[in-house]
Amino acid sequence: MTENIIRTVKIKRIINECDGVKTIIFNKKENSTKKYIHPKPGQFVMVWVPGVDEVPMSISGYSEDGNWSITVKNVGECTNVLHDLRIGDYIGVRGPLGNHFKLPDDLSKQIFLIGGGIGMAALKAFSAELIDRKFKFTVIEGAKIDNDLMYMDEFQVYNKNFSQFHFCTDDGSYGEKGFASVIFENLIKDYSENDISNLIVYACGPEIMLYKLFQICEKHNIEYYASLERIMRCGCGLCGLCAIDPLGLLVCKDGPVFNSETLRKIEDFGKHKRDFSGKKIPV
Amino acid sequence: MLETNISGLKLKSPIILASGILGVSFSSMMRVIDAGAGAVTTKSIGPKARKGYKNPSIIEVYPGTFMNSVGLGNPGIDEFILEIKKLKEHNIPLIVSVFGDTNEIYLDVATKAENAGADAIEINISCPHAEVSSIGIDKDLTFNIVKFLKEKLTVPLFVKLNPNVTNLKEIALAAEKGGADGVVAINTLAAMKIDVNTRRPILSHGSGGLSGKAIHPIAVKKVYDLFKFLKIPIIGCGGIDSWEDVIEFFLAGASAVQIGTALYKGIEIITEINKDLIRYLKENEYTSIKDIKGLAHQYKTQEVPDFD
Repeated sequence: MTENIIRTVKIKRIINECDGVKTIIFNKKENSTKKYIHPKPGQFVMVWVPGVDEVPMSISGYSEDGNWSITVKNVGECTNVLHDLRIGDYIGVRGPLGNHFKLPDDLSKQIFLIGGGIGMAALKAFSAELIDRKFKFTVIEGAKIDNDLMYMDEFQVYNKNFSQFHFCTDDGSYGEKGFASVIFENLIKDYSENDISNLIVYACGPEIMLYKLFQICEKHNIEYYASLERIMRCGCGLCGLCAIDPLGLLVCKDGPVFNSETLRKIEDFGKHKRDFSGKKIPV
Repeated sequence: MLETNISGLKLKSPIILASGILGVSFSSMMRVIDAGAGAVTTKSIGPKARKGYKNPSIIEVYPGTFMNSVGLGNPGIDEFILEIKKLKEHNIPLIVSVFGDTNEIYLDVATKAENAGADAIEINISCPHAEVSSIGIDKDLTFNIVKFLKEKLTVPLFVKLNPNVTNLKEIALAAEKGGADGVVAINTLAAMKIDVNTRRPILSHGSGGLSGKAIHPIAVKKVYDLFKFLKIPIIGCGGIDSWEDVIEFFLAGASAVQIGTALYKGIEIITEINKDLIRYLKENEYTSIKDIKGLAHQYKTQEVPDFD
């Protein structure tokens, strides 16, 4: 279920996650006359910063009372203003939008959540859902440097019998040195054929990372889901800016999460996206 | 039953993808054809890449009713030719929507599109939130551009009409007199949405064009009025999201229709509508959708009564 109608909501809480990253919490249920649609892990919202811009962002958390969160990295004009907002300020939210991460069919699957940078936001929401449903999983979080790693405090309180964590940085300033994709390949190096066939990987982050993970999963025949990011206006299947060739699928509506079967056919995957004019540019 | 011929443009269904919806990538337009559309109209293409207005630029305001101010964002014709060529490799019936700053630029873009394989050209002289709207509100400018383009182009030329005018009749007639092969009625209606909490217009441009469900009855009335005096075909456009909406346009006098906003529900909606159109025609013992064109006009409507 998705919701395209924009609604302005007050910021309820702000958490400083790490260098240049904040989590902003708002309530989507309060003071609304509209039917409330609860998000699923992997869905996104279009966030309107009044007077500045409206951009797609993963929903990083949600609870039954209607509190949702987005985790925002300060990377440009819009996110810069978003970072300056305070509790009580209004932002506009359209969503939930898009499809979502599908839970594995059975509890015996060995689940990997692999995130790079701000891509961890969508996986954070998914990890909370997995904990609730008693799935066991392993998180690999990759970042450029130690100060870019996020959610570490929250992950601390997760039940260790169900969740394992690996942190890695490009420069080795925290955790293992290297890319998340390489860490993953090393981790499964000694797995038996049976262990490998029981794996399922969900990933979100830079497309180059998603593509590398895709290649690894293809090589070992591992079930794989990647959440893609594209520039978009509508977020609901109209503007066509997020169309991926040659299937014509829309990241906003048919995605953002795609499985290997689809990714195999996407020529744009790891290569091209469209800019705001609709022109193809490298990812 | 659904085969349609608009001024030489042969379609397997009268449902055409409207301009501005999914008209950027060949692949998403091909999906629309696979779903059963008779043709696709591209996003309005200009002489060079243009980013358009910032977001928010497309929002839903009531269920099924949207407002947009994309502001003619497009990759430019030279880049877009690649998409046209891919569409033509797959034999997709293609209408390229064009715009420009001057008649010459319209011609330049339209000629490039035609040479790349466009089956028809639609001119956007009516975007309610961009500068080209100036042509579509003036009968002389409309006549001039249509005549100018018709002299040079060989494929059919359709004119998309701006409903935000006092006298649509004189503009439609000017297009016909200029030699247009059809009109598309209507483009979006100028509109605004203000957020009550922040007390500011939501669209980055302030105002935009209203499309979808709410404008369907308005579009039906425009088509009904135009049918009374136009000889060239009318393509009904505005708020179609069911087979009844298509039938209504035909009864009002349309020869084909365009669908756009409703695709937010999914492209498959076109497949459903085609199926239901055939069912309606069979149930009512028509052999072709052409047979119902303008049928609403056979009924006399009540004149303004004498109030004394």
